[in-house]
Amino acid sequence: MSARWRGLARLAAGMVPALAILVLAMWEVFATLAVPARVATEADWAAAEAEVRAGWKAGDLIVFAPRWVDPVGRLHLGDLIPIDVAGRMDAARFARIWEVSIRGARAADARGARVASSRSHGGVKVRLLEQTPARVRTDFVAAFAAARSEGASAGASPILEEVGFAPHRCIRIEPPAGGSGKLTWPAADLGSKLVGHVGLADVFTRRDIRGPGKLELLIGGKPVATTIVGVDSGWVRFEVATTPGPAEVTFIASATDPRRLICFAAEARE
Amino acid sequence: MSTSPSPRRRSRLINAGLALALALLSFFTVLRAQHSQGIARDEAQYFGFGARYARYWVDLFRGVPGLRTAAAITATWGGRAPTDNNREHPPLMKTLFGLSELAFHQKLGWTDAVTANRLPTIALNALLVALVFLFTTGIWGRAAGVTAGLLTLLLPRAFFHAGLACFDAPIAALWFATTAAYHRALRGGVLAALLCGVCFGLALATKHNAFLLPIGLGLHYLWVALRPEILHQRARRAAQAAAGPGVPALARELPPAARFALAPLTFRPAIIVALALVGPLVLIILWPWLWFDTSAHLRDWLRFHLTHVHYNFEYLGQNWNHPRFPWHVALVTTLLTVPVATLAAAATGLGVVIRRAIRRVTDDPARAPALLCALSIMVAAGPFFMGSTPIFGAEKHWAPAIPFLCVFAGVGLTAAARAAIARSAALLPRARFLAHRHAPTAAIAVLATLAVTAAAVETFHAQPYALSSYNALAGGAPGGADLGMNRQFWGVSARGVLPWLDVHAPPGARVYSHDANIAWGHYMAQGLLRHDLPDAGHEEGGVASSDLALVIHELHFNRHDYMIWRNYGTVRPVHVLTFDGVPLVSVYQRPRPSP
Repeated sequence: MSARWRGLARLAAGMVPALAILVLAMWEVFATLAVPARVATEADWAAAEAEVRAGWKAGDLIVFAPRWVDPVGRLHLGDLIPIDVAGRMDAARFARIWEVSIRGARAADARGARVASSRSHGGVKVRLLEQTPARVRTDFVAAFAAARSEGASAGASPILEEVGFAPHRCIRIEPPAGGSGKLTWPAADLGSKLVGHVGLADVFTRRDIRGPGKLELLIGGKPVATTIVGVDSGWVRFEVATTPGPAEVTFIASATDPRRLICFAAEARE
Repeated sequence: MSTSPSPRRRSRLINAGLALALALLSFFTVLRAQHSQGIARDEAQYFGFGARYARYWVDLFRGVPGLRTAAAITATWGGRAPTDNNREHPPLMKTLFGLSELAFHQKLGWTDAVTANRLPTIALNALLVALVFLFTTGIWGRAAGVTAGLLTLLLPRAFFHAGLACFDAPIAALWFATTAAYHRALRGGVLAALLCGVCFGLALATKHNAFLLPIGLGLHYLWVALRPEILHQRARRAAQAAAGPGVPALARELPPAARFALAPLTFRPAIIVALALVGPLVLIILWPWLWFDTSAHLRDWLRFHLTHVHYNFEYLGQNWNHPRFPWHVALVTTLLTVPVATLAAAATGLGVVIRRAIRRVTDDPARAPALLCALSIMVAAGPFFMGSTPIFGAEKHWAPAIPFLCVFAGVGLTAAARAAIARSAALLPRARFLAHRHAPTAAIAVLATLAVTAAAVETFHAQPYALSSYNALAGGAPGGADLGMNRQFWGVSARGVLPWLDVHAPPGARVYSHDANIAWGHYMAQGLLRHDLPDAGHEEGGVASSDLALVIHELHFNRHDYMIWRNYGTVRPVHVLTFDGVPLVSVYQRPRPSP
């Protein structure tokens, strides 16, 4: 390396820290001041709201992305979101999904659906997505009244609960330590599959009691699925193939630890 | 006869003047900013206990009889349960909050009650900024000192904490004061050592993490005490090697092992005495709860913190409430909350001192200030790398580490500017301005102005929701939310919806105030909230009896939304407070029944 190049290299090495601080400081000023300028305005949200309201039909699902903007989304469109829809098991039964998003985020519920329309309103984007909805033969939460309970499931009931920090309308069973609670639908109308989700409700009991919960699914008295959920598992999906027609379906929730709030929802689908 | 001061005295006067100016700037900037900050859950508790503690001392000095009995002390300072009379936290700051309220609000009427409670923290933060300046100036020069002082003031999260009647800014200040006093005491002198001990005692009386302080100071002390011995032994071996074999060893010298063992005890024993005796003594004097059953009460205090419940805290998209926690929480959180330019300057400063250490051209090697700063950072933040220390509260828990980072930032920024000018001047000899004697100063001024401006923009933009703010590297508050960083804690942002409630809440509406429930009465007393909007109570019962409901958004507080949905029958809030688009608080209103 020539002396000139060595000199330049030395110069560069000597300049880098000062230049880095200088450039970063200038960038930081502009980047910080630019943050509010990039925030979706009230007018953007109002325009997005108007588009959704104009096209919304009963039975549509509205979702917001990223998840943290949900309160702002519900402020604008919350009256179109029934509590049962907000606490849905999953998005499979919805034919149309309105995704209202900012910052280029995508909602997990809209994944895999066809984009029917997409329009930006400043910082807010509205996409209408369509999918072939799952046809539900039996919604076990809605059909709770038809279930026969045994053991600790006597106090079980459908309820909107926090599971995995998200709202879920589910059947909550609190089995005693080392025991179980059992719910049986004597003649549930089954389709080709049974899809469910299970998780542990309540962040504080999840913190204080660390043991897992277990949910067993029996069809016609035979065990067909076992799902074990831990404190960090969230809302865990399970699915089994079923023979269409009426059948006895039993869910057994059990745990070794006390105060384990096992919540589940399930649907028999065509 | 000339009366002009000597250059040394003049320099001291300038430094004193600058320290005072920085302190005043800090004091009045934070004082002004805190008016818009909400009341933190913890400080709302300290207000009440502070008033009780202050009353105790006032009565004691007035000679009210019977106050030194165990029963009287217990009634104000202790109790059976671990949190009775807030005995889980040492009393210094709470006492000062109470005395400040008594003096500046009740007696003099200079401030409102909340501001009066916050004045001691604001003052200690001002002291911290001044001390950072003086400490850095004393070793690395005035330019580094001014830069370090200003960058210490302009930290978004620390600036916010500096305006609260809590312990986090005070412990950062007293940790630094103890370290600076210790550094001064290394020169010798009983008074300096005594000051170090007193500062340590005040730190102990402020927050329990002061117990970590002696670890860093102890390791540093061992190094500076043993270093002369190491040099001595090295010189001795060199002398022997030069003299050749057969030369007898120096007479009457203790064996090396004995000299090493004795060195720490004989180096600056006053420091050891100060930290071991004066510090604890100050703690006991300031805390009447320790005036009897001292060891049991100390044990209870420490046990409370060693077995502290793990609060919920969101970090990188996950809710954490149980160990093992990620080892990198302190590192990543610091990288995303301290201004980027400050971080870059601090990294440069760290590089500079490491390079100097490798080349054995360290500043003040006998007292090793750079090592002291590095150890302080490691000890203050170290527990959070273990995976078992509670991480809730994030930056406030390792707050004592950050001023030392700013010291490095001052060192790094000035060194970077000087290096840039020196290299440029060597390479571009025709550019005479680079060789001008004031060129390095001008370069430092430009670079420091930019870094300080960047820090100021971050800091003032973050107010009054600094607990939800993240730096430009994260992409601000929305970037922090995308990364799944904690939204906020202590319920401070509830303050932001009070104007909405003032206008829109129906007369006599009961409000589920969520995490702001302890602050609710204080907001009313401050005139920030209508008196006809009482708090509706806790959890399900509170929601059920409420007409309006607040949810202060944190991941684990989602359950409060769902509680309200169930009870109100709607998922739609009527108002959402946001910061740069990020939801902080939702307000729900119970729908009127259909006619």
